[in-house]
Amino acid sequence: MKNNLNESDKSNLPYETARNCRHYAMCKIDFLGSGVCSSGLEKHFVSYYPQGRMILYEALAEDKIQITEKCVQIADSCNLCGKCDYQCYFLNEMRPTKVMEALKNHVETFVKNGGKIKIPQKDRILTEIQKIVGADWATNDEAITATYSHDLSAISDPKFPDYIVMPDSKEEIVSLVKLFIKENIQYTIRGNGQNLLGFAVNEGVIVDLNRMKSIDFDEKNWLVKIGPGVAAFDLQKQAQKRGYRINAAEPAALLCANIMCSGIMSTFSTTYGINADNFINAEFIDKEGSVFNLNDISSPNLYSYKNLQHNESPGICVSASIRLHPVTNDEKGILVPFENLNSALDFIRDCSVRHIGLALGVVGAEYISTFLSPTKKMSAEIKSIFIDKLNIPWLVVVIGDKYAINTITEMGFPFFDQNLFTSLYLGLPSLKKADWLDLVKELSDDEPYSYLKIKSFAELFETALSPSAALYAKEVDPELRPFFEKLFSGKEMTDLVWLNMYRIMSTRLGRKNPFLPALIYLPIDNNLIIELSEKFRLIAEKHQVDHDFGFITPIDNGKRCIFEYDFFYNYNDKDDIQRIRNVAAEANMLIDDYSVRTGTVKGHPYVLYQGFCRKENLLYS
Amino acid sequence: MPDKSKPTIALTGATGFLGSHLMASLLSKGYKIIVLGRSVKDESLYERISRLLKWFGIEKCLRLITCIETDLSLDNLGIENTEYLYLCSIVDSVIHCASDTSFSENKREKVMAANINNLKGILEFSKNAHVGFFHYISTAYVAGSGITYCKEIPSTAKSFTNVYEESKATAENIISGFCQKNSINLSIIRPSIVYGDSQSGRSLKFNALYFPVRSAQTIRDIYLNDLHNNGGLKAAKNGIFIDKDGYLFLPLKIYLPHEGDLNIIPVDYFVNATIKIIENSSESGIYHLTNENPTTMKIVAKYYEQLMKVRGVEIIYGSLPHNALRNPPEELFDRFIEPYRPYLSDSRVFDKTNANLATDNLKPPGFTFDIFKTCMEYAISVNWGASIFE
Repeated sequence: MKNNLNESDKSNLPYETARNCRHYAMCKIDFLGSGVCSSGLEKHFVSYYPQGRMILYEALAEDKIQITEKCVQIADSCNLCGKCDYQCYFLNEMRPTKVMEALKNHVETFVKNGGKIKIPQKDRILTEIQKIVGADWATNDEAITATYSHDLSAISDPKFPDYIVMPDSKEEIVSLVKLFIKENIQYTIRGNGQNLLGFAVNEGVIVDLNRMKSIDFDEKNWLVKIGPGVAAFDLQKQAQKRGYRINAAEPAALLCANIMCSGIMSTFSTTYGINADNFINAEFIDKEGSVFNLNDISSPNLYSYKNLQHNESPGICVSASIRLHPVTNDEKGILVPFENLNSALDFIRDCSVRHIGLALGVVGAEYISTFLSPTKKMSAEIKSIFIDKLNIPWLVVVIGDKYAINTITEMGFPFFDQNLFTSLYLGLPSLKKADWLDLVKELSDDEPYSYLKIKSFAELFETALSPSAALYAKEVDPELRPFFEKLFSGKEMTDLVWLNMYRIMSTRLGRKNPFLPALIYLPIDNNLIIELSEKFRLIAEKHQVDHDFGFITPIDNGKRCIFEYDFFYNYNDKDDIQRIRNVAAEANMLIDDYSVRTGTVKGHPYVLYQGFCRKENLLYS
Repeated sequence: MPDKSKPTIALTGATGFLGSHLMASLLSKGYKIIVLGRSVKDESLYERISRLLKWFGIEKCLRLITCIETDLSLDNLGIENTEYLYLCSIVDSVIHCASDTSFSENKREKVMAANINNLKGILEFSKNAHVGFFHYISTAYVAGSGITYCKEIPSTAKSFTNVYEESKATAENIISGFCQKNSINLSIIRPSIVYGDSQSGRSLKFNALYFPVRSAQTIRDIYLNDLHNNGGLKAAKNGIFIDKDGYLFLPLKIYLPHEGDLNIIPVDYFVNATIKIIENSSESGIYHLTNENPTTMKIVAKYYEQLMKVRGVEIIYGSLPHNALRNPPEELFDRFIEPYRPYLSDSRVFDKTNANLATDNLKPPGFTFDIFKTCMEYAISVNWGASIFE
């Protein structure tokens, strides 16, 4: 029997779904409250999560690997519970269960027909590694190694490692590093593979830190000490239970890795800061296998910043003490609409300088419509409604306490409050058909969005849209409707505070296609930002790549901001990958050019491996 | 065939509401028209005009039209000198209909640019072309606020309801001065509020009279949907229900500052009267194209109730009581009609001596339920203009 899939299998839905996996690791966190793949929680290797099975199925289909012992285990361990369908559909409108079914069927048929299962040869190195971490936590089975051949980055080529190791302690990592030095083995540390530049894939050994999930709160000192396997979402959940908040980046990103790579940034960075603002201490294992504590006077100065690309990793971060922030019970989220980017930038600068609001972010119509809409098709429709009918090409997301919200009201800016946002979100299907939107546009003639100031507009808006979880759920696949109806009946998914503190709002951005962001630190200089946006647009158009404004968040009292511009591409199209590489090269050159000319613009690639630096060193030196 | 005895007219604003209707009628009468205008987005001026003529059902008249893409804010109308000189040599008179009709103070700069700054180009052109007549389409409301009897004389008003009125009054003065200095005959045509064709209901624009009706219809539909599809809880909360006759009871108290009229004329009257003025006038004059028998909002509300099967709409003359509780439909409706409120109970009376003389005493029809019905049904059939060219 053939080990791999045949040609007709390759044209089928499971294969297409598998090769479109975003490798975003969101199936490893319970962001929908639906639970997480039980085999993944038990086995920890990414291979036992839906993401791993997708990669495995793709590798089998493309004849890159054979069916092995672990492959049979991985296929068998899936109980087809369907949780991954909820998660992946929410994010990307994809249903991995079909892939899981196809993988199981393929492996079962292979075994039933007497196919020869490949038994990996245990070599000396693997034996040595297993002596350190235990036999269950190190393998060279290609069904496992293949699933580590991708990370979130799709512009880097996949690489197949020789071994995957999952240590459980700092001591084990020290022993591993010493072994790797002795045996001259290349090794790469991996969190959830969330970086955008392909640094979590390599040959040699991949050290997956996902077993090290310790979380120890020290509330008296407003910190929580975490292991390197803790994801932002999971820590935020624990912090929230205790009445605190952390500054969290992408929900599935492991915090230590995140700080290590580039530092944590979110809309809350407006007040919580970036880089060294987010932690109090961290522990490392250096290249020689020695442990050092960041706050020890003799330790390397990771608080410094060098304006260089291709920095070397300072070592392996094995724990970090993350800052906890207080939360008040009157926090609310609002969306402030703007007719142009200039006014939106003026607004966030003003708010940031005056310390109004906890979290601030300028987003475009693409961003907001992608998040609000359950499907790609609807997202395109809603985007055009935002721009053409509501005349809302720009929005500022503000999270603040009642004093901040009252101040914005006093400043005279009309906004969508939490109630209006909920109506808008759950009434989105009605919005598509709303003839009355033309009238709303005319109401804005005298003062943009003045209708939002009408006291009873919220009630009319709600009456007109008839928002409900059931209405919203009608837009998704029929089989998934009961789950989505339940999901949207809860408060969290429409709560702007929750959506921002868990960074859920940005998670659907890659649904249409994966994207490569250009990230820049720069002053909130309207002309500069608009000029750079325009140049990014021209680069994208020159290379025929889909593109859009990402977001802008002010930092450090409005003295600087983080600006993201996104370039979208199909990573199953080789030409598109080449195009996006060209775009990335030109965008980086452009940023370099502005960096030299202005002395204030800093490109994100320079921060790589310097995430522990003081923001002042990064922004102002 | 073009009627060689008729003057060749340069027309601005031919893609707008009044201008397009005027153009269609002039073409039907054999006038040769030079349309001065702009392309918009991807549609050239020629394409825009072709689309309009098709809508009027007079595509064959396209040959009577010359479309020149111009920019009134530029010297020589923004066209080549030779073309400009040629234009000057063939044009006999000008109808300046182009206008920004926005009432919004927010758009003051834009309105002033369109209605005043752009005059220079078209006036210079008229001088260079030695035109016999300059016809300016203005508004009856250049009379300004705080006046009761409005004569057909130059406006001396100092206070206006909105920037549109102000810009038109300023423009009239600039044009008058220029034409007087350069010995160009000038007719200033001042219509009141213009709605669609009184016979067919057809219209290209659905603001003014249409806006309150459309607003009320929108509010009606929102609550009908609530009643029919969502259990009607929101409707019930605001005392909205379907009565025994199947009518929607929608309590909508509309406060207007004082008793007064709504002075509206149909576009067919505007066109016929304007053409008569153009054809009959031999010297400068100002003409009010207004309705001597204006309607009232009470009548419009009654018509609305009858057509839309609604009850509960109440027009109240006087100030909104300080402590009045407004229900959501009322609050929204108040906001919808705010820009139009001064025109909904207007106590101004318009002198029509010149207009009656120049138009052989042509009168606009009274505003009957049938006209209201015809116009509103047409508006609804084209989704208030959204699907007019589909």
